[in-house]
Amino acid sequence: MRPMKFNFQDFLLKVKKGLGDLKLKLNFGGKETTTHIAMEKRRAIAGYVFISPFLLGLIFFFLYPFLQSVIFSFNSIQIGTQGYEMTGVGFGNYHRAFMVHPTFRRVLVESIIQMITDVPLIIIFSFFAANLINQKFRGRAVARAIFFLPVILTSGIILAVENNDLLLGIMSGAIQPDTAAGAVRALELRTLLLETRLHPRFVGYIIDAVDRLYEIVKASGVQILIFLAGLQTISPSLYEASTMEGATGWENFWKITFPMISPLILVNTVYTVIYSFTNPNNPVMEIIKNTAFAESRFGFSSAIAWVYFLVILGILGILIGVISRWVFYHD
Amino acid sequence: MKILRPSNLSRSVGGDLLNLFFLVLCGFLMALPLLYTIFQALKPLDEIFIFPPRFYVRNPTLDNFVQLLVMMGESWVPFSRYFFNTIFVTVAGTFGHVIIASMAAFVLSKHKFPGRNLFFSVVILALMFSYHVTQIPNYLIMARINWVDTYLALIVPYFSYPLGLFLMKQFMEQIPDSLLESARIDGAGEFRIFWQIVMPSVKPAWLTLIIFIFQQLWTMQGGVYIYSEQLKTLSYAFSQILIGGAITIARAGVSGAVGLLMMIPPIVLFIITQSNIMETMATSGIKE
Repeated sequence: MRPMKFNFQDFLLKVKKGLGDLKLKLNFGGKETTTHIAMEKRRAIAGYVFISPFLLGLIFFFLYPFLQSVIFSFNSIQIGTQGYEMTGVGFGNYHRAFMVHPTFRRVLVESIIQMITDVPLIIIFSFFAANLINQKFRGRAVARAIFFLPVILTSGIILAVENNDLLLGIMSGAIQPDTAAGAVRALELRTLLLETRLHPRFVGYIIDAVDRLYEIVKASGVQILIFLAGLQTISPSLYEASTMEGATGWENFWKITFPMISPLILVNTVYTVIYSFTNPNNPVMEIIKNTAFAESRFGFSSAIAWVYFLVILGILGILIGVISRWVFYHD
Repeated sequence: MKILRPSNLSRSVGGDLLNLFFLVLCGFLMALPLLYTIFQALKPLDEIFIFPPRFYVRNPTLDNFVQLLVMMGESWVPFSRYFFNTIFVTVAGTFGHVIIASMAAFVLSKHKFPGRNLFFSVVILALMFSYHVTQIPNYLIMARINWVDTYLALIVPYFSYPLGLFLMKQFMEQIPDSLLESARIDGAGEFRIFWQIVMPSVKPAWLTLIIFIFQQLWTMQGGVYIYSEQLKTLSYAFSQILIGGAITIARAGVSGAVGLLMMIPPIVLFIITQSNIMETMATSGIKE
């Protein structure tokens, strides 16, 4: 590929000049405007001005690499001394992902199933936890800090410390269903639950949840924060009014808290799905990374990533479609 | 003694106790790893590798911290330089991100202009794509605009991190339009509305965002874009100390100490911001 001719300095100057022109036309700080543009148009221009810094970053650091990877996925890439060379292979990379790669299909299906079981658990747990620490009690700040710990613990260097750690490995191993200890504990719970004559599949789901409690707790830090922030933007006057009318705490929860927080249930679902698909420990992400950086087959890796991306897109589309039906916007 | 003061009068003592029970249970689960890190940092070497492993420490020692200090003293560039780099990158990145993402979120949720929906869809797409694949094209861009080996390569991509926009937009959509309309009638400009009305009323949202971005930037290594030793981050320097081939095992204790030290700033920040965001809505003038 020939390098794109592009002078960044020139471009920045042009953007600056453009922004300067716009600023003249805008009404910053509430003073009289010099030019008279229609209200609608002025607000549209304001929209573009406010959005442009973000948009620029998005184009340079996301959209361009994103499109580049489409091109990569249809090519075989050789890295030489003079940069890289691409030879077109059509859909060869995609064909190989599905038909030749030994594990890709299985791993993909497994990680989707994993996600489907995890997301409801994480959402319910984090909503519950956020409600708990939103109560008024002594030592609330400390309690919140403790609930925030998983977020810190799942990042960067601390993760690395955790990974080469003996005891923690054994601890999380004990919670995994495939080890003896976990199986025994779950067995007792299973008999108990089956006695209640619930559907066996539902029982299996609960047992799975108990087995992976540590992972679920670890994955729900950000969601708790988002829910907590949401709970705090609910105006207290709503509760005052409804309590005055004689509503109980239970009714307040279902009639006020729950509808008001529903947009954030959507946010959190989206976040959880994306996080569970794109975190570096996800097996598909590992395949993508290894193909690209260990085997140096960058075109193939891009193709796998695109298949994966389209799968995520489909799942999110369905989820957003379903959840937005009952999301309530207070306006 | 009354441990939980009920927030409304209809809750019973039993409810309070149930609350307390769940709080302690969940809190305990979440605090376990922290306790473990603290113990690990205080363990002498023979206790770290004892089998079967022990959770708590029997003979606590500060050796690991002393050893870490010695190693920090032996680094190529003064260790304070790494501190400065990390703090600079973290603060600049966090502020830039919060302001730029909020501005974009404000117009996305409260203005109508052509291209708005398209733009938001692109943001959602950006959230989903696996970053391994964009890594190489990203590097090529950085190289082309001569940002490799500068702070900019670490900071600027965070300005347009899609998650922040997504989060802020969801919160801003809950602000009633009538509030903004009345400000407009009173003659406030768009920027003023954004800065003096919208931002204060979504304070919990951006404080949450600050915490979130801060802890990502704080632990960022940035090894791909940065070559000069003077520009490297604290997290990178620490990982160089820890992962040194055969000595990795000998430094297991030091790694516990590092983990503990790196955890402190995000936790402190969290406690500060959380105590600041109480009852924002009560004073922000949103009453329908």
